[in-house]
Amino acid sequence: MALDIPSPTAPQLTASPAAVSAALTTTQVRVTSSFRGARIVLYGAVFDPTTKPSDVVVIVRGPELPVRIARKTKVAGVWVNSRPVVFRGAPGFYMTASTRPLEEIAGFGTLRRLGAGIDHLAINAPFEQHTETRYGVRDVVVSRLGADYLDWRRAVVRLKENAGLYDADDKGVTFVDTDLFKAEIDLPTEAPIGRYQAEIILFQDGQPVSRKVRSLTVEKAGIERTLYLFAHRSPWLYGLVSMAMALGAGWAASLAFRRN
Amino acid sequence: MDLYLPIAEVSVNAPLLVALGALVGFISGLFGIGGGFLMTPVLVLMGIPPAVAVASMANHVAASSTSSVISYTRKRAVDFRMGGVLAGGGVVGAIVGVEVFRWLRLMGQADLVVALSYLIFLGVIGGLMLVESLQSILRRRSGQPPKPRKDRRPPWLYGLPLKMRFPRSRLYISVIPPVLLGVFVGVLSAVMGVGGGFVLVPAMVYILRMPAGVVVGTSLFQIIITTSLTGVLQAGRNQTVDIVLATLLLVGGVLGAQLGAKASSRFRAEELRALLALIVLLVGLRMGLGLFFTPDEPFVLMTGMG
Repeated sequence: MALDIPSPTAPQLTASPAAVSAALTTTQVRVTSSFRGARIVLYGAVFDPTTKPSDVVVIVRGPELPVRIARKTKVAGVWVNSRPVVFRGAPGFYMTASTRPLEEIAGFGTLRRLGAGIDHLAINAPFEQHTETRYGVRDVVVSRLGADYLDWRRAVVRLKENAGLYDADDKGVTFVDTDLFKAEIDLPTEAPIGRYQAEIILFQDGQPVSRKVRSLTVEKAGIERTLYLFAHRSPWLYGLVSMAMALGAGWAASLAFRRN
Repeated sequence: MDLYLPIAEVSVNAPLLVALGALVGFISGLFGIGGGFLMTPVLVLMGIPPAVAVASMANHVAASSTSSVISYTRKRAVDFRMGGVLAGGGVVGAIVGVEVFRWLRLMGQADLVVALSYLIFLGVIGGLMLVESLQSILRRRSGQPPKPRKDRRPPWLYGLPLKMRFPRSRLYISVIPPVLLGVFVGVLSAVMGVGGGFVLVPAMVYILRMPAGVVVGTSLFQIIITTSLTGVLQAGRNQTVDIVLATLLLVGGVLGAQLGAKASSRFRAEELRALLALIVLLVGLRMGLGLFFTPDEPFVLMTGMG
């Protein structure tokens, strides 16, 4: 599986003596047969010689996987899936936690630059796009999805939100002491396997002044991992073994019942 | 007790799945069918990705069919030669079906084709079976003698070349119709995640005119061969067989199948057929009618094969 961490380019930080530091209480989430989701807890501290009011934003991103999405359209009275469209840049998991709603912390441009907030994710469908010359302007990006493009993009976000994979918690970061904060982020059972990245950004006066990145991995462990690897590394043997088990079970059951 | 499935990547309630396997196994033993047509839709409703449900079902169907076939063999109710001919077609059908399913998933049309197949095949077969069995029940209730069975077989069955003797079925017919039937059922098995008994049994009775006593056992025998192959192919080509899911289902399934086979002798054949027809019809309608209603959410995420 190609699991890349979406790596946002390190943003320009405003020069300031303030700094943020943070640590995850767990850096490895093990998905075993009893996995029912996990809670990621992060503690951090703000070092600031001045006493400017600060805001903390924590962004947790999961591995990026292309999203295939189709729209249902009515054809001859039957609802049929359209040709699937592939969107790229959508993290498999995306959760923001902050001390206040993001739009109160910073302006639109800043958030967009940082990719902070679901609305500011760079999700697009490159295969549907091509460049052409329009009105004498060269290299204009045109999407084959046309005016519906935003509907498609919104649907990607909406479906991910419904699955509990995208969310924003504007009270997710709480100060437990003057300079010590805590953030909690819940991973649902459906959270994808792979490397995650937690980005902690300190804002003052609507500008990012300090940023730290921590990573964690969500990985299958124990028997789940063994079976998953078996199924993907030697699929034919896996198929034969599981079928042999099935036939054996059927045979054993009929033997057991014959004795009775 | 919830269990995280390694391939399906969802968490499921394990005792519930075992119970479901037992219930479907019971129905399977009672009516002499694989039961996949019931189990696959239920699994999808429970949130298992359809591709995994369809593929893992093959293991469950193979297990419960094996468990029943052994009992039928003891009663000498399996025509192995006919089963072998059907399975020959089934092998070709399964290989084609797995590739067709793979292609449909790439095109994003797997859901549609599965739903339509359920609506059409289950709807038609359930409807016909219901009418036929109700007629015989009514005839018996009103004291009329049972309708004499028309033993006139369709002439084309005899006009075709490549004739072969099937002593246990007391038939001397061309192998072309059973082979074609096998191919068709093999494709269905891969695409719909079913054994295909609901197509095979009526086809063997009404088209091939096999004696009723050997129909069920022979159909189950052919289903074992076809679904074993489908299961291995789905695992090898698509990596969609969830061994944990399959095991949970078949533990209940094989036990249920035995109990069902025992219970079947307490009911009259036409009553069983009427009941089965109702179940088949309901499942077909449940799966297919969704296609006609305006969906709440016009967009769908395609899982797997990114």
